[in-house]
Amino acid sequence: MSRRYLIKKVIGAFLTLSAVVVFNFFLFRIVDRDPLAKYRGRSKLTIEQRETMIRRMGLEGSKWDQFTVYIKSVLRLDFGRSFDSTQPVLGEITARLPATLFLVGVSTLLTICVGLYIGTKAGWRRGSRFDRTSTSATMVLYSTPEFFFGMLLLAFIAGRTGWFPTGGLRDVGADYGFVGNLIDRMHHLVLPTVTLTLGYLGSYALIMRTSMIETLGEDYLVTARAKGLRDSEVMSRHAVPNALLPSVSLIAISFGFVIGGAITTETVFSYPGLGLATANAISNNDLPMLQALFLLASAAVILFNFIADLVYGLLDPRVRRTE
Amino acid sequence: MATPVLRVRDLHVTYQSSLGAVPAVRGVDIEIARGETLGLAGESGCGKSTLAMALLRLVSPTTQITGSVLLAGKDTLTMKPGELRAVRWAQASIVFQGAQHVLNPVQRIGRQIDEATEAHGGARATGTAELLELVGLGVRRADDYPHELSGGQKQRALIAMALACDPLLIVADEPTTALDVMIQAQILQLLEEIKRERGLSMLFITHDLSVLSHTADRVAIMYAGRVIEVGAGKDLLRDSQHPYSKALAASFPIIGDPSSRRQPRGLAGDPPNPIDLPSGCPFHPRCAVAIDTCRSVDVKLRSVGGAINRQVACVHFGDA
Amino acid sequence: MSESTGTTFRAMTWARRRTALSRVWRELRHDRPGFIGLLLLSGFGLFALSAPLIADRSSLLVASGRNNPDLAAPSIKFLLGTDEIGRDVLAQLVWGSRVSLFIGLFATVVAVVIGSVVGLAAGYTKGKVSAVLLAIDDFFLVVPFLPLAIVLAVVLGRSPVTLSIVIGVTSWAGSARLIRAQVLTLSERAYVERARALGASSWHVIVRHVLPGVAPLIIANATLIVPSAILTESTLSFLGFGDRLSPSWGKLLEGAQSSGSITLNAWWYYLPPGLCIIGIVLAFTLLGRSLERIFDPRLRGR
Ligand SMILES: Nc1ncnc2c1ncn2[C@@H]1O[C@H](COP(=O)(O)OP(=O)(O)OP(=O)(O)O)[C@@H](O)[C@H]1O
Ligand code: SF4
Ligand SMILES: [Mg+2]
Repeated sequence: MSRRYLIKKVIGAFLTLSAVVVFNFFLFRIVDRDPLAKYRGRSKLTIEQRETMIRRMGLEGSKWDQFTVYIKSVLRLDFGRSFDSTQPVLGEITARLPATLFLVGVSTLLTICVGLYIGTKAGWRRGSRFDRTSTSATMVLYSTPEFFFGMLLLAFIAGRTGWFPTGGLRDVGADYGFVGNLIDRMHHLVLPTVTLTLGYLGSYALIMRTSMIETLGEDYLVTARAKGLRDSEVMSRHAVPNALLPSVSLIAISFGFVIGGAITTETVFSYPGLGLATANAISNNDLPMLQALFLLASAAVILFNFIADLVYGLLDPRVRRTE
Repeated sequence: MATPVLRVRDLHVTYQSSLGAVPAVRGVDIEIARGETLGLAGESGCGKSTLAMALLRLVSPTTQITGSVLLAGKDTLTMKPGELRAVRWAQASIVFQGAQHVLNPVQRIGRQIDEATEAHGGARATGTAELLELVGLGVRRADDYPHELSGGQKQRALIAMALACDPLLIVADEPTTALDVMIQAQILQLLEEIKRERGLSMLFITHDLSVLSHTADRVAIMYAGRVIEVGAGKDLLRDSQHPYSKALAASFPIIGDPSSRRQPRGLAGDPPNPIDLPSGCPFHPRCAVAIDTCRSVDVKLRSVGGAINRQVACVHFGDA
Repeated sequence: MSESTGTTFRAMTWARRRTALSRVWRELRHDRPGFIGLLLLSGFGLFALSAPLIADRSSLLVASGRNNPDLAAPSIKFLLGTDEIGRDVLAQLVWGSRVSLFIGLFATVVAVVIGSVVGLAAGYTKGKVSAVLLAIDDFFLVVPFLPLAIVLAVVLGRSPVTLSIVIGVTSWAGSARLIRAQVLTLSERAYVERARALGASSWHVIVRHVLPGVAPLIIANATLIVPSAILTESTLSFLGFGDRLSPSWGKLLEGAQSSGSITLNAWWYYLPPGLCIIGIVLAFTLLGRSLERIFDPRLRGR
């Protein structure tokens, strides 16, 4: 990969992240009214407590002062205290991060693998039975809110069969030893993962299918066939590597949707990660928490896009080997 | 006479499009002997590339092909998929038109050549490195990607690739169209040398008749999906009989004149649309010597008295 | 331009539009997925229109459920049973269709207006202006849009109108991209160049020459924004935004979830709104993709 490409992408990611940070500052200052308007316990506060809170939130002084205070605290990863638990936001987040990372990580991996596989096969055999069936199915998947999947899975699988727990991270209060606990956690992860995967499988499959179809007309596929390659070889060596290119960036953009999906999925399954924390913060009007969660989600998507740019650079020699 | 390397009989190729059936090739008979070069010329859209693709059944499965294509005596049109794959590239390879998109942009040149060899059982007389040297590219280019080559270099890479499996026949589909004049001449010379050294047969497709005068042993002129005149190369070019061939020959005084690509000079009107062909002789709307019968009678290719091996499809020639 | 040439020009424009419209209709009728989408959509439209015939608005009030059994299974009286406070589910479903459709369409209008203005401007301007617009567009394209919508909704308010604006403001970036690309190709066309060379003002060129060229694309694109806006709406409602007294389908699902209807097997409460969301999103998506195919011949193969 050319150094210039890399530097350009690093700077791009950094600028976007900075823009999000600045945007976030203004976003929470649009409302010029009482900064504690959303704080439920505000009527019980003494004047001093009020002032301490406002100072802690960095809402004191001129906008410029506030801005410098804000930037400094963001750099220190200090997002203040949760309105709800009154604990530091950072602690609340780091405590819940692993659960969500695991859920989103496994689901994203599954979604990409299965989605790309279906899309590739459907696009390559456009108009075939597989294509028609899978495209109809992916259209329905695409049209279904993932939390509705979750509800259906809860009702018809967890509820009816009892094969899977209906929620949570693990059996509360139980200790099955190290391996047992691990299995228990996996067991709790199955339905949320299936939900999130089904929810976003559709769009990945459709993206890849379109990309494959656009590749079908390319001359180099005729060349490959003329050389006496098998159909499967033409597909895997020539069509797929080229069709992946435009998909990579679209898939990265779709990752933002998976993060959104994690919020509702965790809510349906009471899975105590950042998504559930977001839902709780919404119902509690927990501004500091939401602010931090928004920053984190944006950072995650920007990172994912950056990785996608790197992958693109590796896959496409026209980017990898310029100059 | 020994079996010809290629013998095409009554080949019809019909594409399916949303506007209806497109008969792009309509009953073509051609033959190429060992070591011989047949030049195939005609305006854009007359079905030259379609013919080339149909030889190895490279058109899409929805496209109808009928007739027979005997490649070293075996009909590619009736082969089973496995058999067909074995014949592709090993017996006939193609230097495709428009080198720009013919190479896979994300695969190294060397790999794309190796791949052809591997598909046919590996080791060959000439290795990839040698092939690249042979076409004047140099071994180092094996590690390059297509975008790192110029148009002429890509064309050379394609020629190297076409040689990878020691084929009997090379189909060169307008191998020089996209190139500038200097490079055109180099590529033509390269093809000529390789052909002579290896005793290859060649189907050389072009719309530039002047190119054929050096290269082709025999020439076939195509119009609206048919061969309308065949004959010995120099002879046909000097003394063409069919009104269309005449017009075509008259219009290429300069080698590689780019403006001649679009329309032969001295020939009014557009080439016919294969979906909606004129009745009778498809050339009659543009023909200066057309008579009434031309509008209803479509004359088959037939031998002309006098000239050896000359065949023409026109009411004015042959036995009426 | 004299009066009469103005009139004939306009008449010609209209005639052209009519033939274009009838062509779209003809192609749509032969495009099965698109036609199915259109039928489904008409069905939902009728459903939403017939709300007053099916149930009185008052049955949405908390009080209306007071004398009914809670979470009762479907019966003659309540075709789709009742919710956790005894309200008729069918009544909420049919009135909810209006809320979901309203928010989906209104959000789309907001998104399309912003997207078109930014897209046209970014495509037509050059240099710094265009670069800044593109940067803004990139920003909105990358920032994860549900978290963004959530913080906006928390800060700005939770009413249906605010929600629509929030959804609109978070979903225009893709269309701006598309429209800009289209404007760039159009601007190279001869007639736009000619108009510019003849000294037409930018505004005139955009309105008279560029806008008609991109209009089909905007329409197809808008048809595809509606389903995602409806999905976003249902997600936001599910997360607690929206109005419990005039519930959208997403809000109904939230009610179903929080009332424990799932563990209680009260399928009549959560299945209908979920299926309705799938149906309407599918309808718009099928129609939108079909319009895309019709307007953009390059996509024919899909
Ligand atoms: N896949 C296809 N589907 C439908 N029609 C096709 C297809 N490919 C080619 N055609 C039509 O078939 C006719 C012959 O095309 P072909 O490419 O064989 O012409 P050609 O003689 O090689 O022209 P050129 O000199 O421009 O390469 C043309 O009218 C073309 O429009
Ligand atoms: S048959 Fe008639 S129309 Fe055709 S080339 Fe001969 S004279 Fe011209
Ligand atoms: Mg051709």
